[in-house]
Amino acid sequence: MNKILVKNLSKKFQKNIDAVKNITFEIEKEDFFVLLGPSGCGKSTTLRLIGGLENTSSGQIFLDGKDITNTDPKDRNLAFVFQNYALYPHMNIKKNLSFSLRLKKTNKEIIEKKINEVAKLLQISDLLDRKPSELSGGQRQRVALGRALVRNPRAFLLDEPLSNLDARLRVLMRTELIRIQKMLNATFVYVTHDQVEAMTMATKICIMNKGEILQIGKPAEIYEKPNCIFVANFLANPVNNIFKSKISIIENEINIKLIDINLSLKNKVKINKFNEIIFSIRPEHIYVEKKENTVKVKSVVEVIENLGHEKILCVKIVKSETLFYVRINSEIIFKIGELIDIFFDVNKVLFFDPIKENLIER
Amino acid sequence: MDNNLNLSDRRFGYILAAPSVLIVILIILFPISFAIVSSFFDYTLINKSFNNFIGIENYLNAIKNERLFNSIVVTFFFVILVVFFEFLLGFFIALLLNTIEKFKSIYYFILLLPLLINPIVVGLIWRMFLHPQLGILNYLLSLLGIEPVNWLGDPQMAFVTIIFVDIWHQVSFMIILLLAGLSAIPKEPYEAARSDGANIIDCFLHITLPYMRPVIIVTILIRLIFAIKTYDLIYIMTKGGPGDATDLISYYIYRSAFISLNLGEAAAMSSILLTIIILLTLPLFKYMNRSD
Repeated sequence: MNKILVKNLSKKFQKNIDAVKNITFEIEKEDFFVLLGPSGCGKSTTLRLIGGLENTSSGQIFLDGKDITNTDPKDRNLAFVFQNYALYPHMNIKKNLSFSLRLKKTNKEIIEKKINEVAKLLQISDLLDRKPSELSGGQRQRVALGRALVRNPRAFLLDEPLSNLDARLRVLMRTELIRIQKMLNATFVYVTHDQVEAMTMATKICIMNKGEILQIGKPAEIYEKPNCIFVANFLANPVNNIFKSKISIIENEINIKLIDINLSLKNKVKINKFNEIIFSIRPEHIYVEKKENTVKVKSVVEVIENLGHEKILCVKIVKSETLFYVRINSEIIFKIGELIDIFFDVNKVLFFDPIKENLIER
Repeated sequence: MDNNLNLSDRRFGYILAAPSVLIVILIILFPISFAIVSSFFDYTLINKSFNNFIGIENYLNAIKNERLFNSIVVTFFFVILVVFFEFLLGFFIALLLNTIEKFKSIYYFILLLPLLINPIVVGLIWRMFLHPQLGILNYLLSLLGIEPVNWLGDPQMAFVTIIFVDIWHQVSFMIILLLAGLSAIPKEPYEAARSDGANIIDCFLHITLPYMRPVIIVTILIRLIFAIKTYDLIYIMTKGGPGDATDLISYYIYRSAFISLNLGEAAAMSSILLTIIILLTLPLFKYMNRSD
């Protein structure tokens, strides 16, 4: 049975602003479900609707098979972790952590035990007597997480919990979150605009834009087969090569004019109706040495970005003067201005409808 | 002090500051010192001179004065009751208004109106409303079949009426300050608390009250200090009467000085009142200067 089911959910804010438009998805038990999208796409609103912090305009939300659409947040037993932590500034850390348990009039010894457990897990045992204002961002983030953990909630709702941390801490907390989620066998619903976070943590990603769901799936699935240009563009690190090009089709081969390469087609019918098409190829699928199933294209090295463990080349195709990004091993050395051969992996090129922008099967 | 400023620059600074310093000395420091000095003399309006130094005799007389004692008791109850009800009512209304998003500027304007009206005018308006025969209040009561009430004529009733009018006049002050405090509380702690399982009362006790503590303390202290000094309302509405039922300390001091013409003793009483108010103000200053 699914853990959380969101059915035809919509949310309008005043003046007819559609924050969320008729979305439906389900979250399985023990999923690390990531809502991913640019700011203003409705992902946070969706999370707040699940948590009951906003009222739905229409649609339903089910938790463990029970309709909770109109249930008060205090009765949903869902733990919410906020981007800016939302700790209670007048309470020390211990009181912050125990707040929900104290409200439920839990036995003092049990509270004590729980807090010590969680504090140990999050390595905040020595901070218990301090006030939130005396903690660093990372420590506050841990306390916010701890406040959710002490409760044994039915699911965790996390709203961009790592975005206020510095890059290094974010990576560490990422690992920690994955570890905790696995250890507790908990269901996490996690909102982020950071595709690296989504790729690394999620068991399932739901990509949203303008209040609508574009694609739901396992991270690798979505990465390999984005169903539209927006997803292909958004789920890319650092960038995806996406271009519009004139095409011609002869027999079962398509010629992409922009880079002048021929690719074989299985599904000629679908592509036949276009004389122009959008195609994408990721930087790691363009090589600088010949491999199987590749097509050679001449180009000039324009910019080299050395990231330490790899290099990102920006090359200009000689024929059409378009710029492509190529990801290479950092040990390979090129000079700027050097004329090189690059090899497109023909199986990795994706085609999109130039008007509807959705994926076309080759 | 900044040592880089050379002498002429510093002198120029003093010259610039001089007019305002002079004004402060003239209109604040001089009257206060004059009052304190005259409290040690037998200084009356009939005999305006500093010839008769009598030490602390004015103070001794003041302390022994039963009427002063009475006015201190009256003031004490007046202040406690007025501040208590204004706070309770003000906080309640502020909590209700805080949930309203629309028409903020309109109700803020309405709330500010009583504060904008001169206390003398407030007193006059209410004296008309409360007139035993001609007042609108007794007329309205008569429509309900209730006997006319002698609002300002009966000692106990007059005290209650004065408290009521003061609440009417001053409760907006509480509402506006508390409302400002309430609207400054961030939303997230409430949302966190609701997710943590808190109901409305839990939220009020664990979020609203702790967040509002500094505002509440400052508001109550300010109102307390102003309430002790209440004078104009009494002057217009009851003149301290009937008997001495509404004889607040400020009004009693005024009577001693300008009706009994005993300026020295009145000055002594003023000094005592000043001391009390300063003692009350100290915690306020301490609180406001706290670094966190």
